[in-house]
Amino acid sequence: MRRFVAGRLAQAVIVVFLVTTVTFLLVHLAPGDPISVALDKPGVTEAVRQQWRESFGLDRPLGEQYLRWVGNAARGELGWSFSFRRPVRDVIAEALPRTLLLVGLSVVFSFALGIVVAVLQTERPGGHRDRWLGRILLLLYSVPDFWLALVVLLLFAYRVPIFPPSGIVDPVLHDYMSFSGRLADRLRHLVLPVTTLTLLATAAISRHQRSALAEVMPSDWMRTAIAKGLSHRRAVRRHALRNALLPSITLAGLYLPALAAGALFVEKVYSWPGMGLLAANAIVARDYPLITASVLITSVAVAFGALLADVAVAAADPRVRVS
Amino acid sequence: MPCTSHRLSFRATRWIPAAIAGVLLFGCTEVKEQPQSAGPADVGGTMVVATPAEPGSILPGLYSTSIERQVTDLLFDRLAEIGDGLNSIGDKGFRPQLAARWEWAPDSLSIVFHLDPRARWHDGQPVRASDVRYSVNLIKDPSFGSPMASSTMNVDSVSVRDSLTAVAYFKRHTPEQFFDLVYQVSIVPEHILGNTPPAQLKTAEVARRGIGSGRFRLAKWEQGKSLTLVADTLNYRGRPKLDRIVYSLSLDFNSAVARLFSGDADFFEQLRPENMAKLATDTSLRALPYPSLQHTFLALNTIDPAHPGQPNPIFGDRVVRRALTMAVDRQGMLRNVFGAMAHPSYGPFPRYLGVADTTLPQLPYDTLKARALLDSAGWVPGPDGVRIRNGQRLAFGITTTVSSASRKQYSVLLQEAFKRIGAAATVDAVDFAGASTKLQGRSFETALVTFSPDPNVSGVRQAWSSAALGKDGLNYPSYVNPTVDALLDSATLAFDPARARAYSRRAFEIIIEDAPGIWLYEAPTVAGIHKRIHTTGIRADEYWAGMADWWIPASERTPRDRIGLRPAATP
Repeated sequence: MRRFVAGRLAQAVIVVFLVTTVTFLLVHLAPGDPISVALDKPGVTEAVRQQWRESFGLDRPLGEQYLRWVGNAARGELGWSFSFRRPVRDVIAEALPRTLLLVGLSVVFSFALGIVVAVLQTERPGGHRDRWLGRILLLLYSVPDFWLALVVLLLFAYRVPIFPPSGIVDPVLHDYMSFSGRLADRLRHLVLPVTTLTLLATAAISRHQRSALAEVMPSDWMRTAIAKGLSHRRAVRRHALRNALLPSITLAGLYLPALAAGALFVEKVYSWPGMGLLAANAIVARDYPLITASVLITSVAVAFGALLADVAVAAADPRVRVS
Repeated sequence: MPCTSHRLSFRATRWIPAAIAGVLLFGCTEVKEQPQSAGPADVGGTMVVATPAEPGSILPGLYSTSIERQVTDLLFDRLAEIGDGLNSIGDKGFRPQLAARWEWAPDSLSIVFHLDPRARWHDGQPVRASDVRYSVNLIKDPSFGSPMASSTMNVDSVSVRDSLTAVAYFKRHTPEQFFDLVYQVSIVPEHILGNTPPAQLKTAEVARRGIGSGRFRLAKWEQGKSLTLVADTLNYRGRPKLDRIVYSLSLDFNSAVARLFSGDADFFEQLRPENMAKLATDTSLRALPYPSLQHTFLALNTIDPAHPGQPNPIFGDRVVRRALTMAVDRQGMLRNVFGAMAHPSYGPFPRYLGVADTTLPQLPYDTLKARALLDSAGWVPGPDGVRIRNGQRLAFGITTTVSSASRKQYSVLLQEAFKRIGAAATVDAVDFAGASTKLQGRSFETALVTFSPDPNVSGVRQAWSSAALGKDGLNYPSYVNPTVDALLDSATLAFDPARARAYSRRAFEIIIEDAPGIWLYEAPTVAGIHKRIHTTGIRADEYWAGMADWWIPASERTPRDRIGLRPAATP
């Protein structure tokens, strides 16, 4: 197992290095630079723009800029955000926890809900419940995330305005609330984006889980369990589910990167200032350091998530051999 | 692009009636309105401003975006404030701010500013003449890299006569020397910033503290959430009517608008036409049209982007430019895209510019004449209907930004208009950075350009004189006409506003005749605002200039208005 983990870690380092290198090159090759975007206004001379480029080393050859970036990143220095005029580390330090909260909650809820729904479907395969849940899940699975986010927003922030449409807290009253009031305010702002993300992910998780359950149901040991007098429901919950959890464990690993990368469209619709929205706006502003840092964090999360999924599967199923 | 004008018409008709209704119901412009004055009981309340952008720098001299400029202006004072008429010649109309009064030297090469002795920084320190000297030196310091540096080139130096008297010396006596100093330089505290080298202020934490002398002071700034300004109750110019202004920060336009319509915000700066129907039906909001200096035109690049220095094979020819202008039904397009809300552009200037003249003769919309002009210039229809001359097809790209729905609509309508006279245009929609790079590098054929010039004659000169040809200038079409140069120079140097207007008028006439651009529209600038908030007159250059005097009657307050100035609860 140790050799396996070490090998995967080495692969992860190479993947992260390649991804960030390609990103660094691509963003620099795109037309425009952060200075020309920020200082495109009447009266600004090219000398001023050039002075800013020199201040931030953007006048240096691309190779030199890259080597400097790699050196700084290795020391944990992610550079200076041109759009926020702050260190990238500080900008990400504020955005990342928001994304972890949003996506983390939705991952927990969606896995819990997805597995429950799959079990409910499997208890009476082909029955009314199975068919209706299947249709609903297929619908949720098919709709684009931004569309669902907009519909949820329209319904619960406008038609029946019971939840705030955007933001993470009330910009005025939050600071004047009691502790419980602040907690409630934060939860109210979480409801719509978490619900949207949960619904979207539940559909995928549930479909995978149902397929896995359907595969183990005809097994000899399931027939034996039922023949020994176990009810169908108890057989599913006690035996089939445990043996069919492997796909969900793999899926959980694949969802991990979203914890760091954010959910762009949902963050955009609900104006949730997390990593997804941050990266999207950084691209528009040609904020090179912020783009590259976002990609670095996301690629590390992808590599780590994949590794974690492999290890978790191997640990959960002794039949899986790692090498 | 397969999109037809019919489809665009359909899109437009969905919101035009609502937009017109909105204007009829609420559209009395605030500029003409005589608001009731606020009584002593009407001091207080909170206004939440939804913004689709996040400020980066709030240090005067380094701001680059509208939100940064707005926050900076509310936190920091200038020596004097430009009048509502936006006169930039001499000091007529300017109102005292930090300078209680000023005196011109007999040769007009220096001005003595007497500071208001009551003026204090938000940390309690008095504002001194040395702060004025520091602020001017900072802007002019090349290592500081201020975007405003070029505007203060005529300011030679500032000396300190005593703690409350600063003397500004100018290199030349010009009509706008007062404006150049007073409008472009906000005064910053030397005791806060002076210990940091100017070159490091771009990245210094101290530049984010926002300690100014304005009527609001910075209370809190949380990235991605909000930026709160609270009333400076002991301010020398008087306490603002509002207790606080909270900028509810968002990185997305639609989310920011959603905050207005959900009641989470009270004000949104510039609504789009598609938001007007919703605004008209919202009983708690009203439309607040306000003047602006924004105007949009199609720039026709007279230089060949493929061979810089050589005339453009299509737009280098004045006849072709005039023909293309005549092919465009500007009124029709305006109605199609904006309904009754926008105004046509009358030339290379916005309506609210002091030297603007909306009575200038325009090239007519006449497709027959446009075709005749192209025929006369040797452009003959090719086999596919696109005209050709000496092997050169009358085909070109229209650069526009993907983020602007109205500009994208306009580019499609222009494409159709040009097609009718045998010109093939392709729409090249790119992001802001891409468009900006193309414009600055003059590597476009035609481009939809929107900008707000400085509110003075120099603003026109920045865009249409030979002096603005390089990357320092905004003469994107690379338009050159020595007569126009001379007229704009004369206008810039005229001390008599009437003469400045006359010179400008003649220059505008020539530019319109030469057609280096097709003047399209002045987009409607309509804010959405909660009905409980009463506003004052609004200036075209900065709608927020009078925000400290906006007020909320005591009888109309909501829970967030009743917080008062008490500090936030301890977490």
